[in-house]
Amino acid sequence: MKQLKDIAKKQKKDTYSLSFTAFVIGAMTVTQALLIVSIVMLIFLEEKPFSDVISQLAALLVVFIVRGIFSYIHGKIGIGMASKAKKQFRESLLTHYSHNPIQTSIKGQSGKRVTLVTDVVDEIDPYFSKYYPQRILSSIAALILLAAVFWQNWLSGLIMLVTAPLIPIFMIIIGKKTEKKALQQLDNLTALAGKFLDSLQGLITLKLFGKGREEAAAIKQSSVDYRTATMDVLKFAFLSSLVLELISMLGIALIALEVGLRLVVYQNISFFAAFFVLAIAPEFYKTLKDVGSAFHAGKGSIAAAKKIVEELAESDQTITWGNERLSQIAGPPSIGLNNLSFTYGEDHFSLQGIQATFEPYSQIAIVGASGSGKTSLLHLIAGMYAPSTGEVLINKQSLFTYDEGEWFDKLIYISQDPYIFSGTIKDNILIACPGKNISEEALNYAIEKAGLTELIDQLEDGANTVIGEGGRGLSGGEKQRIALARAFLKRPSIILFDEPTVGLDLYTESILQQSIQELAQNATIITVAHRLHTIKQADCILYLEKGTLIGKGTHEELMENTEDYLTMLKEQQGGMAG
Amino acid sequence: MTELKSVIKLMFIERKDMYISVFFGVFAGISTVAVFAISGYIVSKAALLPPLYILTIFVALLKLFTVIRAFSKYAERYYSHKATFTILSNVRTYFFTKLEGLAPSLFQRFRSGDLLARVVGDVESLQHFFLRVIYPPIVMLVVFLTTIIFTTLFSLPVALVLLTGLILTGFCIPLIFAIKQRGIQSNIRQLRAQLSTDTTEFLYGFLDLKLYRKVPLKEKALRRTSDVYIGEQKDRGKQEQLNFAVNHWVSLVTSWSVLALGAYLVSANELDGVFLAMLVLVSLTVFETATPMTEAPSYFEDARNASTRLFSIIDEAENEQERKNKNKVVDLQKAPEIECANVDFYFPGEDRPTLANVSLRLPSGSKTAIVGPSGCGKSALLHLLLKLYSPSSGTITVQGQLLADLDEDQFWENISPVLQSNHFFYGTVRDNLKLAGEHISDKEMNEVLSWVKLDHLSLGATILEKGANLSGGEQQRLAIARAILKKGSLLFLDEPTSSVDPITEQRVMNKLFTQAKGSTVVLISHKLTGLEQMDQIIVMDKGTIIETGTYPELIKRKGYFYQMKQIEKSVFL
Repeated sequence: MKQLKDIAKKQKKDTYSLSFTAFVIGAMTVTQALLIVSIVMLIFLEEKPFSDVISQLAALLVVFIVRGIFSYIHGKIGIGMASKAKKQFRESLLTHYSHNPIQTSIKGQSGKRVTLVTDVVDEIDPYFSKYYPQRILSSIAALILLAAVFWQNWLSGLIMLVTAPLIPIFMIIIGKKTEKKALQQLDNLTALAGKFLDSLQGLITLKLFGKGREEAAAIKQSSVDYRTATMDVLKFAFLSSLVLELISMLGIALIALEVGLRLVVYQNISFFAAFFVLAIAPEFYKTLKDVGSAFHAGKGSIAAAKKIVEELAESDQTITWGNERLSQIAGPPSIGLNNLSFTYGEDHFSLQGIQATFEPYSQIAIVGASGSGKTSLLHLIAGMYAPSTGEVLINKQSLFTYDEGEWFDKLIYISQDPYIFSGTIKDNILIACPGKNISEEALNYAIEKAGLTELIDQLEDGANTVIGEGGRGLSGGEKQRIALARAFLKRPSIILFDEPTVGLDLYTESILQQSIQELAQNATIITVAHRLHTIKQADCILYLEKGTLIGKGTHEELMENTEDYLTMLKEQQGGMAG
Repeated sequence: MTELKSVIKLMFIERKDMYISVFFGVFAGISTVAVFAISGYIVSKAALLPPLYILTIFVALLKLFTVIRAFSKYAERYYSHKATFTILSNVRTYFFTKLEGLAPSLFQRFRSGDLLARVVGDVESLQHFFLRVIYPPIVMLVVFLTTIIFTTLFSLPVALVLLTGLILTGFCIPLIFAIKQRGIQSNIRQLRAQLSTDTTEFLYGFLDLKLYRKVPLKEKALRRTSDVYIGEQKDRGKQEQLNFAVNHWVSLVTSWSVLALGAYLVSANELDGVFLAMLVLVSLTVFETATPMTEAPSYFEDARNASTRLFSIIDEAENEQERKNKNKVVDLQKAPEIECANVDFYFPGEDRPTLANVSLRLPSGSKTAIVGPSGCGKSALLHLLLKLYSPSSGTITVQGQLLADLDEDQFWENISPVLQSNHFFYGTVRDNLKLAGEHISDKEMNEVLSWVKLDHLSLGATILEKGANLSGGEQQRLAIARAILKKGSLLFLDEPTSSVDPITEQRVMNKLFTQAKGSTVVLISHKLTGLEQMDQIIVMDKGTIIETGTYPELIKRKGYFYQMKQIEKSVFL
């Protein structure tokens, strides 16, 4: 509530404009009633000829026109405010995600986040486009109408004054209950979206396990839950409008009774005043009720804003990069790991006290059973995640004192499953050198080195073939080779390489071996390795077990001092013979 | 309107709530008009100082109608919304069921972010179809016509003015704005879908985006999409506001005409003056029921676009379904025999065959390995055997029955699959293993988990979306555990242990083969070690089978397989 109110208050100019248009609308409503009442009175009671009311009829027409125009302007201002607010919320979400890589990349369901950025932000709209303008309109118009009634008949005014506060009181009581419900309903909506994306992506698995139909039932169930939750919220909304209706009915009935009695029994009020009060009273209560219904539209926005604020509050250890230069230094820098630890969420992601130094141009292998924290270590060296304790040292200075752009310029990361963006093969390779002009020759060289020439030649559109989620599906080997082409284009001085030659065809494997050798001539290369071939060549091997560094040294050194390493090696060779 | 036919059909599955809501809607509308008519009449009558009992009767009537109105409105709202959400849930489930039939080729054609946008967003827009498109005109028409008939009792000309107002506000103006809205509305849908797709890509590809320093660029692009989207929403809002203002204004002018005409008729003595106030108030009120009509066109457009998009996917699914509809139910023996004859396969929209003239035989209970370089078509072949794709030509038979004729669900019941990318759902380890069968005991699950060396996972441990908190090797072993638990008589394994270290791999595979002794097994492998125990090895390259035989036979032949083995040795040692 508070965030939205603050945003609305900050848009001062719009608030003033809204107040002005509300004042005009209120004044026109009173004038309209005055004119209608006097026309009816002149014709009906005083039996004046038609020509006597022509000028008043003309004035009434003008009033209608002015009222129409100002209602339009009033609504338009609200829409403008809503646009500004949505923009603000969406942008702060995006900024947040781009600064919190761990949260963005591994925690929870991405489907939920997509909904948050799209639909939940859209839900902010009604607060500004409906509730806020209506609140201003109602508070100003209600005062004007009340004043007008007091002017004509103070007793009716008094009745209105007494009954009117009941409306906001009931609104608050009922609104309090709705708030929790609205939040729950929003939870249901995001859960539904998450469930759907998850089910959609696992559709093949579901089908093969014969669970397609059960999943449809589960989706129906979550739809029904959503309906139940929504109906619970709406029931309260409808109930509150029922109560408001009954209160305003009570008010109007009291006024009608009062006016009727005075008109017929006591005869101390004019027909004009009586009719005027009776014409204004419904408008008065209607304007109060309108806040009520707009209030419910705005409620959803408040719940939505809360969700967004919660998401924004959750954050990783923020990484702040410095602005030390790195680019003048030719060749790869030295890399040191100083007491590096990392924990995140459950024990699946953890590393403790890793200590190591890598000289320029060295070849490093990280070895260990799956789940021993090898990939997390690579992410830390890359500067993707902030370590819990300790630091990564580049040329003996903390990694984060350097300029982010210059660091990433020096580095390439070939992951187990390189991400292929929707776009052409060419775009996917060129992504390695953002903002640089790459010649056709350089691109073709990279394609050839990565062993993609044959593949591209087979395609009708060549390198312009669209790949990624919306295009042609690539095999794992082809994805690896695209990543390799990126490396050849970039020529980095640090290469981070995750599980090479695993699960690939022999062609890609041999291409990878050759290419890595070639790239290694000008770079430090840190590999998460499974292959003896890669391991034997390494200048230094880090042997990890459950997040701790068990052994460090060359292959020969480890064979001598680290028993676990020897065991693993035997198993590896045993596997070979098998 | 044709696009909405299917939606209307779905709407009428559960229609009781709809009828109830229309009934109460009309009731509420008529009582509102009655309330104002009576109050207008009372005040005029009172000015003429009638006997008190007449006033009392009318005041009582006034109260009655107000109470009726309040409660009818409540009922109307309740039932109309309930009906709407029922429709919504039917549409959503219907859509998922249809999508299921299209599953494998679906992701080639649509991006999942886009699909999510379609389903969640578009289905959401359909909720307004009944509530704001179908329902208001019905209520408006009944209430208006009743009011007009009532008015003719007092003055025919006034009734005619009202009728004109009805035609203008209820039909002409909404229609004009509906035409103007067309473009904007479909733009908004598209932009929304784009925003959703871009956001999905931004979140899934985040780490790579960050490494390639594309985050600011992508973020900027996202912001731009968002700005355009918000801009279009703003335009639509303004358009609606204008629509509303014009409509409201016309209704005011109609009431003005009623007043002017009434005043004239009274002064010409053609209408009793006591009814003048009543007629004006009736006219001011009755147009309230026409207010929802101003929103109807934009919601209509919304619903039309949403359903066009939804059903364009479903139509494809239905075409697919037609081909599959001759489902025969066949009892499969314990371990089925499978035969392929001259199978060709093209991916949709591609000219190059992925498989060409593939013929093979998998005897009952045999163990077959398929090897070959990446992209040689071995996974596609497995997908054909799995009945996920259909061959473009040629036949696949299971125990002499055409695979195409078999009932999918029944066929899949017999299969234990481990695919290249195995899906895990957000939930516990237990939830994910239970896919293999509802009644598997915890004890059994733990036992199988220890076979695949996943003892460190407790059944209650949470698995994140796409198994993101498991390493590649853990995911594969969990998938193997799931396959073992399913106990199918057909095992289809697509590089099941590519990310598992050799020693674990050997143990897991040994266990897997012991469990699958009597089953027919197809193993796609990237490694040539451990294939000695297979009954037959099929070597593929570029979509065709180039060699078949047992391990010793192939080594002896010194062909393609032998060369692959030599390369592999040099890589390893």
